[in-house]
Amino acid sequence: MPSDDLAQFRAEARSWLHANTPAHSAPLDGPDSRTFVLDWQRCMYEGGWAGLTWPSEYGGRSLSVAQQIVWFEEYARCGAPSTHNASFVGINHAGPTIIACGSVEQKAFHLPKILSGEVIWCQGFSEPGAGSDLASLRTKGRIEGDEIVIDGQKIWSSYADIGDYQELLIRTDPESTRHKGLTWLICPMDLPGITVRPIKTMAGPAKFCEVFYDQVRVPIRESVVGGIGEGWKTAMATLSFERGTASLALQISLVGKVEQLAADCIDPFVAPRLADLRADAAALKAMSYSFALSSEHGTPGAEGSLIRLYFAELAKRASDLAVDLYGIGSPELAGEHGWAFEFLDAYSETIAGGTAEIQRNIIGERVLGLPRGKA
Amino acid sequence: MDFEQNENQTAILGGLEQLIAGLQVEAPKEGVLVAFSTRLDAELEASGFLDIAREAEFTLLDSALVVERLARLPVSAEVAFSALVGPLFPTDTVQRPFALVTANPLSPARFLTVARTLLVDKGDELLVIDVDPSQVEEVESLFAYPYGKLASLEGMAVRRMGADLATGVRRRWRLALAVEGSGLMQSAIDTVIEHVTNRYQFNRPLGSFQAIQHRLATAAGTQQSARWLALRAAWSDSEADCALAASYLQDSIPTIVYDLHQFCGAMGLTLEFPLHFWTYRLKAMLGDLGGSSAQARAAAIATWQDAA
Repeated sequence: MPSDDLAQFRAEARSWLHANTPAHSAPLDGPDSRTFVLDWQRCMYEGGWAGLTWPSEYGGRSLSVAQQIVWFEEYARCGAPSTHNASFVGINHAGPTIIACGSVEQKAFHLPKILSGEVIWCQGFSEPGAGSDLASLRTKGRIEGDEIVIDGQKIWSSYADIGDYQELLIRTDPESTRHKGLTWLICPMDLPGITVRPIKTMAGPAKFCEVFYDQVRVPIRESVVGGIGEGWKTAMATLSFERGTASLALQISLVGKVEQLAADCIDPFVAPRLADLRADAAALKAMSYSFALSSEHGTPGAEGSLIRLYFAELAKRASDLAVDLYGIGSPELAGEHGWAFEFLDAYSETIAGGTAEIQRNIIGERVLGLPRGKA
Repeated sequence: MDFEQNENQTAILGGLEQLIAGLQVEAPKEGVLVAFSTRLDAELEASGFLDIAREAEFTLLDSALVVERLARLPVSAEVAFSALVGPLFPTDTVQRPFALVTANPLSPARFLTVARTLLVDKGDELLVIDVDPSQVEEVESLFAYPYGKLASLEGMAVRRMGADLATGVRRRWRLALAVEGSGLMQSAIDTVIEHVTNRYQFNRPLGSFQAIQHRLATAAGTQQSARWLALRAAWSDSEADCALAASYLQDSIPTIVYDLHQFCGAMGLTLEFPLHFWTYRLKAMLGDLGGSSAQARAAAIATWQDAA
């Protein structure tokens, strides 16, 4: 896209954000969080600023990744609400997975609802016995006619208590093991037999949830994405988005926060750490832009794990430094979105969506081509 | 060199175990961020364990062993300052619990919400402030200790003490960090070892993966190093040893806290898992007295001065 056009696009984005960005940040959990997130998403949708790279036939604008990057830069610059909120799963991996693997009917039904701020999505992959070892999951689905009957338990399902739909990975072939016999399906969260228990994190909010399924019935045609028994393939697409481009807005935001730390730094003892941090942030920016642009027309590749890992560890170092720089009791640390919260919340960055150890395995095996280790 | 407990130390720690068992100290059932035990604090004061270093037959090292043991509990009390800094003052001239800050008396401080004395290290002098509780504001804390700050010094008795006492308080503050920190590390590591031994993924205990074994082995080495440096500092009570032990402790915290939480996965991020009772207190210590590099410089200066 010509730079003049991008500059014009940037000016439009900046102007709209300046006029519409909420004065307050999103509540961290509960019904207030849902209301805030859906209102803000609806506002962006009505303004023409939702789903910039999504197909226009499903409510998006079919714009380029370069324009998406410009939007995120302006979004961060004006201090718009963090994208790491209750809309994250729907916008960043359920939606893209449905675009990549869903049926025409699923796309037509779900994608406009996600973009227009009608629904919240959550993820149902991890189980108490299946964290890093996702393929050992045991939540089962029994096929009865044109329905699947689900029994089991999921955990770490962020915002499941306020969610409308869940991207759910279950075992539909009882004879199968590991990656085979799994199915990825769309599960409405208001079905009979679903019980949700929020879990309070050490950062404060109770956004993680356990979800229990007792004879939960979902229709196959409307629910299954990618085919019965093909769930691992669909889940890998989901995780490719989660580990690849989902965090782009957060990465751009982090780069801006590091620059703010630099502007605030008057502590000569912190300055050398901050210099390292700025170099890392500049590297992250270059890597993430390059990767996003190269993934423009397909599902992100395994190289996304390099950036996911780099971002996660940088986010932790940045919040760690911020706590040292500003000090306990400072206004910069206080509040729901202060640096103290960021510091505690950042611990999840190297765990969610595949731990740092799993990302390193992916990098070793699928990017560097090293021999696979014995699990 | 003697690395075994002597009779006094064995007796002290045995008595302390009895007190702990009698109090039935356990991690809070409901997830909480700040776990200060008023009952433990009061019992420790009444039982005399915090005054050991004042007794002729006991040493500062004996007191350090008490601090280390109590740091391993999943609740906090104002122990390290009382047991290691308090004995610098003549009996009954100051009242515990203590809170300590550098330079600005209105800075947030650990334990200030429960403290009766605030010590302010101003470099060339020490302020000893009798805390008026009505002037204390609670500060939001995400780091397991209770935090507070003074709204003003109005109406409070402020005694100005000389540079020697300021230096002594700073030295013992460093010692307190080192000793308490090594105890916190030990309990955090114990908790993680139990988790990775019992948690199975890929049909084997997490702890059987070399990626975890190697980093936990490093963590164990770090904890042992921190412990012996701290105990050496308590034995010598020298400027160089105390600063070195504090520097090592503070320098170790980011890596060890990162790794220990990482090995517990998402469970370690919740208040239903006890790890944060120790790791967050470690994090709170990270910036004390200017952080690791400031202690390292102090250690170097003290060492060169000693050598000269």
